[in-house]
Amino acid sequence: MSYQEYLTARESITTLGQPIITVIFIAALVLGIVSIYHILSSDVRAYRLADQLRKVVTLLLILGFIIIAWFHLRIYQTIELVYPPELANYLSLNMGVTVTSVRFAVPLWIETEKLYFWTLCISLFLGLTNLRYDFLKTQMTALFSSSLNIMLSVFGVLTYLTSNPFKEPLPGLHSEITGWYQAVGAGDLNILYGALYQLYFRIIYYYNSEYMWTHPPMLFIAYASLVVTFVGCVFMLFRREKIFDRISYNHAKFGYLLLTVGMLIGYPWAVVAWEGKDWWWDPKINGSIMMWVLYSAYLHTRIYLKRRNMWRATAILGIICFLSLVFTYLLTYIAPGIHAISQ
Amino acid sequence: MTLTLKMKPKTYDFYLMVLTCAVLAIIGLVCMYGIGYYTYTNETTPQWTQTSMYGDYIDSMNQYIYPFVVLLLVALGLCIPKRIVPRQSLLASGIGMLVVTILIALVTDIGTSLAFLLAVSIVVQAAVMVLTLLGRGGLTYEREGYFVQTGSSMLHLGTVIFVLDFVSFRTSDLHLSVFWVATILITIGTVLSFYPGEAGSVVRMLLKGRSS
Repeated sequence: MSYQEYLTARESITTLGQPIITVIFIAALVLGIVSIYHILSSDVRAYRLADQLRKVVTLLLILGFIIIAWFHLRIYQTIELVYPPELANYLSLNMGVTVTSVRFAVPLWIETEKLYFWTLCISLFLGLTNLRYDFLKTQMTALFSSSLNIMLSVFGVLTYLTSNPFKEPLPGLHSEITGWYQAVGAGDLNILYGALYQLYFRIIYYYNSEYMWTHPPMLFIAYASLVVTFVGCVFMLFRREKIFDRISYNHAKFGYLLLTVGMLIGYPWAVVAWEGKDWWWDPKINGSIMMWVLYSAYLHTRIYLKRRNMWRATAILGIICFLSLVFTYLLTYIAPGIHAISQ
Repeated sequence: MTLTLKMKPKTYDFYLMVLTCAVLAIIGLVCMYGIGYYTYTNETTPQWTQTSMYGDYIDSMNQYIYPFVVLLLVALGLCIPKRIVPRQSLLASGIGMLVVTILIALVTDIGTSLAFLLAVSIVVQAAVMVLTLLGRGGLTYEREGYFVQTGSSMLHLGTVIFVLDFVSFRTSDLHLSVFWVATILITIGTVLSFYPGEAGSVVRMLLKGRSS
């Protein structure tokens, strides 16, 4: 019965979410085109239209996120794995854990939801930046704002094309839940033990862990903030205007803080959850350290902006930092190791 | 050497920053090599992490990183204590420390030499932090302000403790406790360094609340 409710919720999120993400895709695409047109023509009307479109995209992203949150709540309410007394005793005797049943408290930024969450954070940062600065003040700052909109457009389109969370919601988790109910249906206690034993660790160390509720969102919020830094650094390459450095630096500070704390709090979890596994110097960890040291270097060089050539050097370093960020994000998908998406 | 000692404070700080950034960039390159090696080996020898090759890889990565960690610590040692020690003495002691570290590495191993350097660095950074917290005069920072100074010294002390934790306490029961001490110092230090104005407002608000 509860599985049926879960399946109904899963269908509902697709029914509700698909039209929303389709509109996000179209709006993001148009936002990109209008922003490019503004950059080419400096037409103020295009700027204002892009600004409205950005707000629409942001509101739709928030709406989609609320639907995702509702789906996760339904998973929590409908799915409960009840441990057979023999297995509960086994866990109690061998692992010292007293548990008779467990529910899924799934974080809102796993599997296909990662890129969606990152895009949502970018849209919120753009909203805050637009509230704080009057970008129409000069032509150059208006172009900067349009460039930020292009970044949001790229992320919006990529989310729809490569990581649509509504098309097939949480495929990995879904196959695990389905596998569990199939094991229950089979009535074979050995199969049930196997499924439950495997799921226990997934739930404790992944789905329900405090780490998954803190480490990934901190990094995605940091990534979103650093998108703004990247665009600022690109503009610093062409124009020596203080506002671009100020915006870049303000977002780099915030991003770096979350990046540092987010990376650090992942470590104690890794020590426990990956005990005995080969995770030291895995590609994603290498990439994360590389990204962190590069951002540390960026924040150091920025202190000497007034020295000869340092303005340009800082801007170039800021751009390299962002490239390393994108590379590190992609490592989950393209490189082997414990962080690889297939693991 | 003589030329270095005669450097103006601003030039000294600038070259120290260049050294720090260069070391950080090299550490980034070592990480890039690690990504390439891991990916390539996984492609050519599947399941290699289940063999002794993985242990060799970990050892080689540590060996490549350690010298640059030493350089980073030396740079930190030349940067932060400049607020309490004259530059000339600092340079001389920095070079002396580097020589002793290399000698210990030659006689024992790089892990022991690094542990020595880290222990000395912690004492120095802790002294700087305590003096800064007490608000002792004479400390000069690139960016002035009590909270920036306190934050900077906490951040650097946290970083040194963090490295020490990984070099000397990785298999110890104290590992995670030391890790949390470093994490708290780094976090508070970063917040104070980046947001000194806001931190000041919060502290003033708290003090006001307590007095009323």
